[in-house]
Amino acid sequence: MIEHDDRQLQQAFGALRREAAAGTPPFGATVAAARARQTAAPRRRALGLAAVVVVAVAAVVVVSTGRNRTGGPLGIGLATVRWQAPTDFLLKLPGDELLRSVPQLGRRGVDRRTL
Amino acid sequence: MPPTDLTAELEQLHVTAFGWALSCCGWDRSAAEDVLQASYLKLLDGRARFHGRSTFRTFVFGVIARTAREVRRRAALRRWVPLASLVLGPGAVDGRPDPATALVWADETTRLVRALGRLSARQRQVLHLVFYEDLTIAEAAAVAGVSLGTARTHYERGKAALKKLLEEKGE
Repeated sequence: MIEHDDRQLQQAFGALRREAAAGTPPFGATVAAARARQTAAPRRRALGLAAVVVVAVAAVVVVSTGRNRTGGPLGIGLATVRWQAPTDFLLKLPGDELLRSVPQLGRRGVDRRTL
Repeated sequence: MPPTDLTAELEQLHVTAFGWALSCCGWDRSAAEDVLQASYLKLLDGRARFHGRSTFRTFVFGVIARTAREVRRRAALRRWVPLASLVLGPGAVDGRPDPATALVWADETTRLVRALGRLSARQRQVLHLVFYEDLTIAEAAAVAGVSLGTARTHYERGKAALKKLLEEKGE
């Protein structure tokens, strides 16, 4: 696969391979370090996740309290509120009180002013 | 594969696997050690299983290449999202060689490493696998996860570019 004129590259890579091989860490040390990572990783991950959850909850609390302060939806007791339409006066008729009271019989004379 | 056989096979491949990890990590020794440890862990605890569809060496090199990509992605995520390091753990790879643990190269080798650094990632991978690891282009294609034709193109173009770079620097 490697052509004749690639010998120079082959030699350069050969030198690179020899120098890298000289600096290779021992296999046992690499496997031991890998095993150490295996035991440390879940604990660290659990702590990290717990920290992220705490930060998320704190963010939700801050956002929800901040919204109330800036005029967001407030809790209103509807029983204490009475709304009156601006056209309500049109429903008030002259002599309206006569329709709300029962005329009394047996009185002397009828007060014409009330008719 | 039984765990004892797996460990023995890995031990046989260890030196070349470290070379491949170095290439995947831009010749940063501490990053390469980190990637190699994470790859061995995947292999030993069964997260990466060998099904015999390729040679064992090709399979292990594929695992190392994927792990190096994952480590690079995590390092990028750590840079952009400050809280990510709490979940992902401390980052060992920041893309810069650690001067305390850097390998010492001869002048010619330094020239080659620098020239390789100027090639595209795929060209660098294919050339490393063919010239350094003595794989065929087909095996290099399997490790890099590209088609044979694509690997051949990267090989030819990468080789021409590397020769040119080495000649330029040699003048």
